Amino acid sequence: MASCPFSTSRRALLRGLAAGTGAAAFGSTQGRAADATPSAASDGTLDRQPFHGPHQAGIVTPQPAAALVVALDVLAEDRGELAKLFRILTERFVFLTAGGPVPPLDPRLPPADSGILGPQVLPDNLTATLSVGASLFDDRYGLEGAKPRRLRPMDRFPNDSLDGKLCHGDLLLQFCANTAETNLHALRDVIRHTPGLVALRWKLEGMLPPHVVKRQGQDTVRNFLGFKDGTANLDTRDDALMHRQVWVQPGSTEPGSGEPDSREPTWAAGGSYQVVRIIRNFVERWDRTPLREQEQIFGRHKDSGAPLGETDEHALPDYASDPAGTRTPMDAHIRLANPRTKETASSLILRRGYNYSAGITPSGQLDMGLLFVCYQSDLDAGFVAVQNRLNGEPLEEYIKPVGGGYFYALPGVKEPGGFLGQGLLVGA
Amino acid sequence: MTARRPAALAILLLAAGRASAQAPEPVAVTVTDKGCEPAALTVPAGKSVFRISNKSRRVLEWEILQGTMIVEERENIIPGFVQSLSATLQPGSYEMTCGLLSNPKGTLTVTAAAATTAGTPDPMALVGPLAAYKLYVMGEVEAFHRQTAAFVAAIKAGTIAEAKALYPVARRHYERIEPVASLFNDLDKSMDVRADDFEKKEADPGFTGFHRLEKGLWADNSTNGLAPHADRLLADATELKRRIADLTIPPAKMAGGAAGLIEEVAATKISGEEDRYSRTDLWDFHANVEGSRKIFDLLRPLVAARDPDFVARTEKNFSRVDALLAKYRTEDGGFKPYDHLSDRDRNALKGPITVLAEDLSTLRGKLGLD
Repeated sequence: MASCPFSTSRRALLRGLAAGTGAAAFGSTQGRAADATPSAASDGTLDRQPFHGPHQAGIVTPQPAAALVVALDVLAEDRGELAKLFRILTERFVFLTAGGPVPPLDPRLPPADSGILGPQVLPDNLTATLSVGASLFDDRYGLEGAKPRRLRPMDRFPNDSLDGKLCHGDLLLQFCANTAETNLHALRDVIRHTPGLVALRWKLEGMLPPHVVKRQGQDTVRNFLGFKDGTANLDTRDDALMHRQVWVQPGSTEPGSGEPDSREPTWAAGGSYQVVRIIRNFVERWDRTPLREQEQIFGRHKDSGAPLGETDEHALPDYASDPAGTRTPMDAHIRLANPRTKETASSLILRRGYNYSAGITPSGQLDMGLLFVCYQSDLDAGFVAVQNRLNGEPLEEYIKPVGGGYFYALPGVKEPGGFLGQGLLVGA
Repeated sequence: MTARRPAALAILLLAAGRASAQAPEPVAVTVTDKGCEPAALTVPAGKSVFRISNKSRRVLEWEILQGTMIVEERENIIPGFVQSLSATLQPGSYEMTCGLLSNPKGTLTVTAAAATTAGTPDPMALVGPLAAYKLYVMGEVEAFHRQTAAFVAAIKAGTIAEAKALYPVARRHYERIEPVASLFNDLDKSMDVRADDFEKKEADPGFTGFHRLEKGLWADNSTNGLAPHADRLLADATELKRRIADLTIPPAKMAGGAAGLIEEVAATKISGEEDRYSRTDLWDFHANVEGSRKIFDLLRPLVAARDPDFVARTEKNFSRVDALLAKYRTEDGGFKPYDHLSDRDRNALKGPITVLAEDLSTLRGKLGLD
């Protein structure tokens, strides 16, 4: 969110930073920034998201304009080194999301910081979120028995054309901030602090239009196919809904099953299954597709974002009165993704995607599309169920998933002193 | 190219010429133990929605028939329930089933709709081009099957040179009708998938079809282990031929195919990623263009009077592409390997292909087709 939840002025911040009490200068750490009013003095660089809490930030946090996801392979040689890595990541996340001065070093040494944000690291609304992939639970660290039940390498769906160089990873870091440079700064900081512990695997940056992000709740961003995307997303302010659909609960079991082996491991409570998909859009071809066909494929009007036959973006599509698909085709994207029946309510997911633009394909066409990210308390009941409904949809002619992975966003660090993955490493 | 589910092909009638996306007013039909009320209906051509109330005491199957052929049906309507059926109907006389087989059938008359958009052709004018295109598709799928059988036989006989010669010859028949052939997504994936679609690329056990065989013949220069892939390819080709025989091609699919084929060229042929082992990309490239031109030629009379500039420009661009491709022709009627082309040569192909893609993307709209 572009608005600053704290009334601290920029000058006060800098005073605080200079006094070496960066985090304390911001007051208490609580809640989301969604309801805060923008401070006229703020350009967003002082916006700050609290690091500590029962859940990690960057999941139900309102989306800022810039994102970066990076998958890492862990090089740690044993469990002890893995714990060291998680401690370092936690430390860096705490510093980077709070901001503060870069310590001066002997100029005969390389500087402590890349310097791309200047001598004062500004929080700039940064969130850093750490997730683990299924491969972390192989035989290297003795974590085989601690794997979240649904976690596995990402499935290959029929329309996927996955590039192994853009898939999976032991860890996934997600940085979100008001500006792209803040994310890159955070990534470079983490790399500097974890030599020998991680290897970069793949990375992708995403963007949202800042002026729409500022009007979150009143306006909806558009994807690179020109359609509003996120109109019917879950309301992150609805705690009960987040509790049910996003956060894995202590001892979560499969619906209708009391089997002990169907329970999620104890450490996993407060975490969430994260799905990342790099979905290339064939934009040249799409731009040459008749408008009406585009709208039938999505099930929304392109200009207003309203469901077909409606004028208001937020009107609820009435599929019950359209059982044959006369108004909204049965295979329209929004109808398949969320048929709005009682039976499909369990597949609601929290989407948190970004647009990406990455270069040019060997054919000389644009490589751009959607950096899809979603969170859910049950991977199979959530994303996998939705994607299985979407398989074969007409939109497939214009999109191609090429990478991504399934990950598990670790539970939050409740108190200073704790570290990400502590429950996993200590409990397993 | 991925495409619509085969289920969409259950549309047996042609969705010609409706210019309005407005949902039509539903037409109510009540079925009692004695028959349909009303027993006779008249609707305009194009899309109609029937609301069928089952007031009989039995589970109802309501059908629209033309002769003995079921055009559309709604099954399992429970007594007391109402269901909707959406059907796109051509002008003509139809019958409705009305509950018990002993009940009299109702009549359904579909009248020709008045042209709703000035300047769009009469839907009936599409009938001729559609029939001609179906014949073209049938001819190509027949040749595709025959040449694929020969290709497969050569592989199984271990005659590598012969198999290599037959590979592009069989493929071009598929590439000419790809928008139709790839309606059958399952077969398209099985026959024409590339290693890129798999995470483990060439090592993936799911990698099969033409390109798997291509890899064996050229990269490995061997037919070892290819027999199961060859058998599967022929079985797929046989199944494709069977399915296409039963297929009615919707006019929007035919007209859209002209652009679709050029999009194929733009997205995957120019890069040379299609036939990376054999370097026979230009055969496929040419076949895509031929398939597109065939559709354009068949539909040209319908747009020529209305938009002569469009027609002239499109013909000129087809000719430009032909002229460029002619430079790479070989004496035996084939094409030089794609790696023979420099980056500059490949770029030269992009220009007219992009213009064709832009122009042909308007063909459906010019014909008033959704």
